[in-house]
Amino acid sequence: MEKLLAILKEIKPDVDFEHAGDLIGSGVLDSLSIVMLVARLNEEYDVEISPLDLVPENFRDVQAIQALLQRLEE
Amino acid sequence: MPYSSPWYLFFLLCVLGAYAAVSAKRKWAVLLAASYFFYVLSSRYLLVFLVLSTVTVYLTGIGLNRIQDAFEAAKKDAPKETRKLLKHSATKKKRLLVSITVLLNLGLLVFLKYYNFFIEQGNSLFALCGLSFELPLRKLLVPLGISFYTLQAISYVVDVYHGKYRATNLFGKIALFLSFFPQITEGPIANYGRLGDGLYEGHRIERENLLRGALLILWGCFKKIVVADRSAAFVGSVFDGVPGSYGGIYVVMATLLYTLQLYADFSGCIDIARGSARLFGIELSQNFRQPFFANSANEFWRRWHISLTDWFREYVFYPVSLSKPFMNFSCHAQKSLGTFAGRLAPAAAALFVVWLGTGLWHGASWKYVSYGLYYFAIIFAGMLAAPFTGWLFRQFSLSRESRCVRYVQVFRTFVLINIGMMLFRAETVTDFVRLFGAMFQNFSLSPLVDGGMLKLGLDRFDFYVLAAGALLMLAIDVLKEKGCEPEIWIPARGFIGKWSVYAALIFSILIFGAYGSSYVPVDFIYAQF
Repeated sequence: MEKLLAILKEIKPDVDFEHAGDLIGSGVLDSLSIVMLVARLNEEYDVEISPLDLVPENFRDVQAIQALLQRLEE
Repeated sequence: MPYSSPWYLFFLLCVLGAYAAVSAKRKWAVLLAASYFFYVLSSRYLLVFLVLSTVTVYLTGIGLNRIQDAFEAAKKDAPKETRKLLKHSATKKKRLLVSITVLLNLGLLVFLKYYNFFIEQGNSLFALCGLSFELPLRKLLVPLGISFYTLQAISYVVDVYHGKYRATNLFGKIALFLSFFPQITEGPIANYGRLGDGLYEGHRIERENLLRGALLILWGCFKKIVVADRSAAFVGSVFDGVPGSYGGIYVVMATLLYTLQLYADFSGCIDIARGSARLFGIELSQNFRQPFFANSANEFWRRWHISLTDWFREYVFYPVSLSKPFMNFSCHAQKSLGTFAGRLAPAAAALFVVWLGTGLWHGASWKYVSYGLYYFAIIFAGMLAAPFTGWLFRQFSLSRESRCVRYVQVFRTFVLINIGMMLFRAETVTDFVRLFGAMFQNFSLSPLVDGGMLKLGLDRFDFYVLAAGALLMLAIDVLKEKGCEPEIWIPARGFIGKWSVYAALIFSILIFGAYGSSYVPVDFIYAQF
């Protein structure tokens, strides 16, 4: 989780991701930041996030992103 | 048959009557027949292009199902290595099939809409090179809604290819999805996964849906007939005349009125479309979410023409930016340009493709290309400036959540959007440059009080009506922004509360509507795209 939080901080330094709530609905993560985030996650976690995974449910909060990564790693 | 005409309302009532009269199993057929009738009335023999798209998309879906079924059957008892080969072969076949269909449908759109534009550019290039060779232009008619239904057709085959849902065996279901009459002219661009079943299932005619649908239709007609069509005269006087003949405050007013006209026209049409669908119990997606409360150009496009933005994000931006070449480019860029620029470069490249496509989607001219690239430039500038603005916020201990910061951002975005609207409305890019320059020449506020503003097609009464209409639209947007849904809330009121709103809308349209001999009828603006 800490590694993920550090990556998220790199993309959006001003956001407190642990307490930010709905990242998509609030506009914290827009399509541009999602693409940058995915590029970093693919690199760091050795997973391949495809366009099909880019649905709001997978990026709604830190836990949802973590769950997506776990699913892909398995 | 414009959606705001009495003929459309008569047509809608007839379809509603037929829909109520037939059994649930046949209701889709009534909608399909009505949609094709509506289409033939507007586009006559150009229906053939819609049918061609429908047939190709339907057959492709069936083909994809068969390839998938054959793969599922073959892999059952196959060893792991063979399964991999079978999957690879099935994917290859599916990709080929989808590529052909996408190219065919996109090809039709490009040929009918952009052929003359590309030929003109080619001829200019030949002339520039000193060649006397000239390719002939063609008189091509563009089928109604081709830019909208083509995107729907592409999204359907791509989704089936990705396995998001299984293709339908029912030809009528696809035909209705691509031709549904309330949305064929201006959208919203629908997704089969969200709309397909809702369209095809027979719904009972329910009082609540009738009330909600009628309210949306009336509100849409109010925006179109009272606000949008009334603004058109002033806007036309400034934008259609010799560029530069009006300057200063005249250009500012014409631009503001055009922004109001386009918003009222487009969102009004969408309200009528959503209201018409709602009468049958069908839910069309929202296409607007209070766009002028956006605090950045990026957010504006998440609130304006949402279905187009969603389509480009889902079918262009994500696939392009997550494709292998782009990912490799990203790695290479980070190594050679550093972390910040390296991450920015691929996103910017994908963004460029999206905005070029969005600009071209609106029309075949350099003006629309520039319109798309204008937004690319603004959004890219925002990305570049992000570290600096972050630093600025920290230095001055400003919170992005503070109301004051948000008001400034909303105002800045509103100004940028209006410059974009000026470019969108100007005849050419050169005219836009002249108009933009003229705005700063002889700037004086005196025409606002000395009657100068009243000489361009609108009198004092027109301005009062426009101001009242714009304030009402703003009030509704404020309510929606606060989470209230007037389209649900009003029909649920008591007898007097509810019917007084309906009556007020009807009388406003009849009394204040811009129709009759003093007004030139104005087509829905987005219908031309």
